[in-house]
Amino acid sequence: MADRYDIRLLKPDDVYLSRGEGGVLQGVVDGKPYDELIVHRTFPFRHPSAYISIRTTKDEELGIVRDIRELHSESAAELRKELQFRYFIPQVIRIDSIQRKSDLWLWKLQTDLGPTRLAMRNLHEHIQYPGGNRAILIDINGKRCEISDWRTLDSHSRRLLEEVL
Amino acid sequence: MATLDPLPEQYQKQLQGKLLFTAKTDLLPNGHFGVQWIAITEEDIMVWHQEGPPTLRLKITQLKEARAVGAIGGGTLIVDTHEGPVVVGRYTAALTPVFNFAAKLLGALAKREELPVLSERDLPRNCPTCGNPLGEGTQICHLCAKKSTAALRMLRYAKPYRLQLVSAALLLILTTLVELVPPYLTKVIIDDVLQTKDMGPTLMLLIVGLGVTMLAMTAMQTVRGYIGMWVGSKLMRDIRKEIFGSLMRLSLAYFDRRQTSQFISRVNQDAEEMRQFMTDGVVFVCGHTLRIAAIFIIMCGLDWRLSLFALLPVPIIVAFSLTIWPRIGRLMYQQWRAIFRVNILVGESLQGIRVVKAFGREREEMTRYEEANADVMKKNIKTEGLWQIIHPLFSLIAGLGTLLIWYNGGSKVLHDEMQLGVLLALVAYLGMLFGPLQWVSQMINWVGNAMTAAHRVFEIMDTPSEVPDVDEPLPLGVVKGEVMFEDVTYGYEKHHPVLKGIHLQVKAGEMIGLVGHSGAGKSTFINLLCRFYDTDEGIIRIDGVPIRSISQSDLRKQIGVVLQETFLFDGTIADNIAYSKPDATPEEIMRAAKIANAHDFIVRLADGYDTRVGERGHKLSGGEKQRVAIARAIIHDPRILILDEATASVDTETERQIQEAIARLVQGRTTFAIAHRLSTLRNADRLVVLDRGKIVEVGTHEELLVQEDGLYRKLVDAQKELAQMKGAEG
Repeated sequence: MADRYDIRLLKPDDVYLSRGEGGVLQGVVDGKPYDELIVHRTFPFRHPSAYISIRTTKDEELGIVRDIRELHSESAAELRKELQFRYFIPQVIRIDSIQRKSDLWLWKLQTDLGPTRLAMRNLHEHIQYPGGNRAILIDINGKRCEISDWRTLDSHSRRLLEEVL
Repeated sequence: MATLDPLPEQYQKQLQGKLLFTAKTDLLPNGHFGVQWIAITEEDIMVWHQEGPPTLRLKITQLKEARAVGAIGGGTLIVDTHEGPVVVGRYTAALTPVFNFAAKLLGALAKREELPVLSERDLPRNCPTCGNPLGEGTQICHLCAKKSTAALRMLRYAKPYRLQLVSAALLLILTTLVELVPPYLTKVIIDDVLQTKDMGPTLMLLIVGLGVTMLAMTAMQTVRGYIGMWVGSKLMRDIRKEIFGSLMRLSLAYFDRRQTSQFISRVNQDAEEMRQFMTDGVVFVCGHTLRIAAIFIIMCGLDWRLSLFALLPVPIIVAFSLTIWPRIGRLMYQQWRAIFRVNILVGESLQGIRVVKAFGREREEMTRYEEANADVMKKNIKTEGLWQIIHPLFSLIAGLGTLLIWYNGGSKVLHDEMQLGVLLALVAYLGMLFGPLQWVSQMINWVGNAMTAAHRVFEIMDTPSEVPDVDEPLPLGVVKGEVMFEDVTYGYEKHHPVLKGIHLQVKAGEMIGLVGHSGAGKSTFINLLCRFYDTDEGIIRIDGVPIRSISQSDLRKQIGVVLQETFLFDGTIADNIAYSKPDATPEEIMRAAKIANAHDFIVRLADGYDTRVGERGHKLSGGEKQRVAIARAIIHDPRILILDEATASVDTETERQIQEAIARLVQGRTTFAIAHRLSTLRNADRLVVLDRGKIVEVGTHEELLVQEDGLYRKLVDAQKELAQMKGAEG
C-alpha cells in the first residue's frame, strides 16, 4: 500500500470522470466507481486549472490531478464543468457602476454568466488581489466575482475601478 | 412565521398535494445567472425553468436524504434517491440559508420525521424595497431608512456643547464684523485726512479707533480659541469612548477576521480628524461664509462696478474646487489604505517577531515593509502633490482679480473719478475675500479627512454584534449548572460547519472531558457555551434557559474560564486575580491564590501580591501565569467552569500543582475540560469524544478504554506509544 502521508498524483488512466443522470459528478478512480465525487482547487488563485483534489463525499482524498489538460478529454471537460459549478466565480466583463450609498458600496456588474450586483461594507476587506492584475470581489453574502485582468476591461469600467482602487 | 416568495400561478396549477415550500434559485443548471422555481409538496419536488411542465419532478418516496452542498460563492441542492444523487438546483451564496432549510425539509420528509419550521434566520436578509443586504439582527434597511449623512451624524456629538459652540459662533460673527472695520478706517484716513492735509484731531481719533478694533479682535479670538479647544477636547473624549465601547461590544468573530492593531489608529487618529472637522471645520465654514457675504456687500457699497470685476475669478475658483473635490476624496482614501497596510505590516511583524527571528526572515520582512512603505510614499506624493499645485493656482486666480481692480480702479483714480482711499480699501477687502476662498481648499482637506474618518468610525459603530442580546433578557439568578446542547451546529464560515448536530446533556456539578484530534471542534464547543459565537442551528440551555435569551453579562457571571493562553493585564497580581471582582478583599484574593497553588510563589516574589505583571511588568513563567488565571477563575466563583488546555506547555511538577488546584476548583461546579494529555482528564465524570465536529463516543475513561476500535482507545494508545518513545530516548 502506498504511503498514506504522501500526495497521490493521479495519472490520466487512474481517473475517469462523467456526469451522472442526476447531474452529479461521478467517476471511476483507481478502478473503483464512485457515484459522487467532490473536487477542490488546491491553489484556486495561483493554479485554477491545476492541482485539483478529487475527494469522496466523506472527504477522503483519492488523489490530485496535476493538470486538467493531462486528463482524457471527457474527464477534463466534466472536471472543468464541475469546477465551474463548485467555484461560482463569474468573470467580470464590464462594470456598470460603483456607488456608495450610506454604509454600502454597490457594484453593478456584467459577467460572463449574466448581470449581477454586489454589496460590500467597505473596499479594503472585500477585495483581494491575488497578484498580477487580478482582483477578487467578495460581497457581504460571500458571493464572488473575479476581474481577471483589469487592463483588459473597457475604458468605462477601468475609469470606475481606478476611482475606487 | 417568515414568508417566502409566492409561487407563480401558472406553476401553482400543476401542484399535487399540500404545498410545503417554494423557493426561487438565482442560477440555472448550467451555472449561469437565471431563475428556477422549486416547489416542495407532501408528495413531490418540482422544478420549473420556464412555463410549461416542470423540468424535474421527483416523488418524495424516491428520496433517501437531501443535502445542500456548499461550495465557493454558491451551492447545490442535491437529493439522494434510490438510483443515486440528483441535482435539484444551484444557487449563489446569498441564498444558502434558504436551501439549507430546503434540504432539512426534504430530509425530514424522506425520513418521515417531524418537519422543521421556517424561521427568519432561514431567509436571505435583504431589504424588501431595495433588495440590498440587511445587517445582522435587524430588518430595517440602512439604505432606505437612514438618510442622515455622516456629517449630520457627526454633529450630533456636538449637541451637548451647543451652548459653548453657539457662543463661539457669536464671537466669530463679531470678530468677522470687527475685522472689516480697519480697511474702512484706512480709507477714511487716506481720503478725508491725508489727502485734504487736514491735521485736526481726526487722525488721532481714527488711529485710536484702529487700535481699539485690533484689541477687541485679539480678545475675541483668544476667547473663541479657548472655547474651541475646550469643546474639542471633550468631543474627542466622547468619540473615543464610543469607538472603544463599540469595539468592546463587538463579538469575537469580528476580531477573528481582522488584524487588531488597525484599531489603535482608528480609536485615536480618526477621532482627532472628526474633532478637527467639528470644532475648526464648522467654525471656519460658517465664519468664512459670513465673511465673504459681508465683504461682498461692503465692496458693492464702495463701487459695485469695480467689485464685479474683482469677482470674475470667483466662479472659476468655485468650479475648480468642485471638480477637484471628489478626486481628493478618492486620493485620501487611497492614502489611508496605504498607511493602513503599513500599520498592519508593522503590527504583524512585531507580533510574530519570534517567528521572524527564528526563521531568519528579517530581510524579507524588511523588503515587504519597504514595498508597502514605497506605496505610501507614492500615494503621499500624489495627494500632497495635488495640494502643492492647488494652493499656488488658487492664489494666481485670486490675484487676477486684484490686477483687474488695480487696472480699472487706477485709471479711474487718474481721471479723478474715484478717490485713492476707496481703491486701496477695495484692494484690501479683495485680499480679505480671497483669503477665505483659498481656505476653501483647506476646508476640502478637512472635510475630506473628517468624512473618511467618520465613515470608518461609523463602520465600527454600525457593525452589529454577531451575538446580540435579546431585548428583554430573562433573569438568570443563581444557577445550578445544568447544561444542555440540543442539536447544535456551527461553522465559522457558514458553509463549513465545525460542529454538527451536537446533542449533550450535562448534569449540574458534572465534570466533562472533551477529547479529540485537533480541529475536532473542542474549542468551538466551548466558544459556543460562552456564547462568543451564536449557534447556526440548535439551542444551548443552562438550567433549561436558552443562552440566547440571557443577557451576556449575566451569562458570563456564571462561567469561568482558564485558557491555554493566559492573558494577564497590566497591573498587579492582586488586580489580575480580582479582575472579575474588583472589590475583593486581600483575604479573598489570598484564599483564591492558595486554592490555586499560587499563594506560595506569589509570597516569595519581592513585591508579593503587588508585583506588576503584564506587558510592562514582571515576567511570570507559563505555569505561574496559569495558576494566577486559576485563582482568577476561583474568585469569580462561577457555576460553570471551562478549562481549555489549562496544563499544556508546563512541566510535570507544575502540572501536578495545577492539577491539584484544578481538582479543588472543579468541586461542585459543572466543568468542561479540554486537555491534550488524556491523563489530565482522569477525574472527569464523563468523557465526550469529538471527531470532525460530531460526538462519536461518550463514557467514563474505563468504559471508553474497553472499546477496542474506539477513537478514545486509539488516542490513549497513541499517547502511550509517544510516552514510551520519549522514555526510550531519555
